[in-house]
Amino acid sequence: MKNLTVVFLGILFSFQALAQDTIISNNPQNLKLKVLYFHITNRCNTCRSIEANVRKTINDNFKTELESGIIELDIINCELPENKTISEKYQAYGATLALTKINDSNEKIEDITNFAFAKIHDENVFVSELKSKIETLLK
Amino acid sequence: MKKINFSINSSLFILFLMFSIACNTNTNIKTKENSDSIAAKNDSIKSITKSDTISKSESKTDSKIAVTNSERSKVLIYNFHVTNRCPSCIAIEKATTKTLSAYFATEVKQGRIKRQVLNVDKKANKFISEKYEAFGSGLFVTRVFKGKETTTDLTGDGFKFAKNKEEKFIEILKNKISEYLK
Repeated sequence: MKNLTVVFLGILFSFQALAQDTIISNNPQNLKLKVLYFHITNRCNTCRSIEANVRKTINDNFKTELESGIIELDIINCELPENKTISEKYQAYGATLALTKINDSNEKIEDITNFAFAKIHDENVFVSELKSKIETLLK
Repeated sequence: MKKINFSINSSLFILFLMFSIACNTNTNIKTKENSDSIAAKNDSIKSITKSDTISKSESKTDSKIAVTNSERSKVLIYNFHVTNRCPSCIAIEKATTKTLSAYFATEVKQGRIKRQVLNVDKKANKFISEKYEAFGSGLFVTRVFKGKETTTDLTGDGFKFAKNKEEKFIEILKNKISEYLK
């Protein structure tokens, strides 16, 4: 009975983790890439569409990396006081998409906001080009 | 009999005098008229010549301006938006207006910078929206020089900074416009 309860709780927690807005790596030692999308409180369709397609790119192409903690996905409201420090670090005062490569303890930030707004009108192009960028940074 | 002859002669003389006076007056009037009309003609000729000279000199100046303008670059700024606008989109337009009035008022007045705010949902703006691939909010700065167009898409920077870090966005936009005006 105890074993069954542990299994049940394990399944429940794993579903909760998948349902989280921000998916933070549970294995920091594996972390190679952070995908961060910042937004303001009152969002427009373009901003929502960018988030949806970032999620789609990762879920369709990097699910294993996400689950194993190689990739971390952060969706952050830059207008909330608790997110002030990280927003200032990324100079994200509005909708901002950034990729951060983690190499040992070094971080290399690539701001791809202009790419996101330029390509979002064609979802296939957006997903395909973001996928390539992530693959390059994971190498 | 002598008296009758004298009266006839004198009346004839008077008639001749009257006729000659009348003729002289007519010629005077005619010449006056003629001189007036000539003067008027001369005036009109003068005015034509003047206007010709003015238009020639103006057209020369125009062509000089045209040459100078064609040698200098022009900047086109497009603020695209949809009908239902978000705060960031409104902030981008507001900051663009601020940038132009604070730093480029002269160039806007000269016509070197042209700015348009366009709703992409309107049929009338379909062509230009498709040219810039603007299907939602967008900010594009285009340099036109010798018939060649170079465009920078500043939409991302606009969404990133215009609402909560306006001064940063104004700096980015100002630098881009200054670069394109060179």
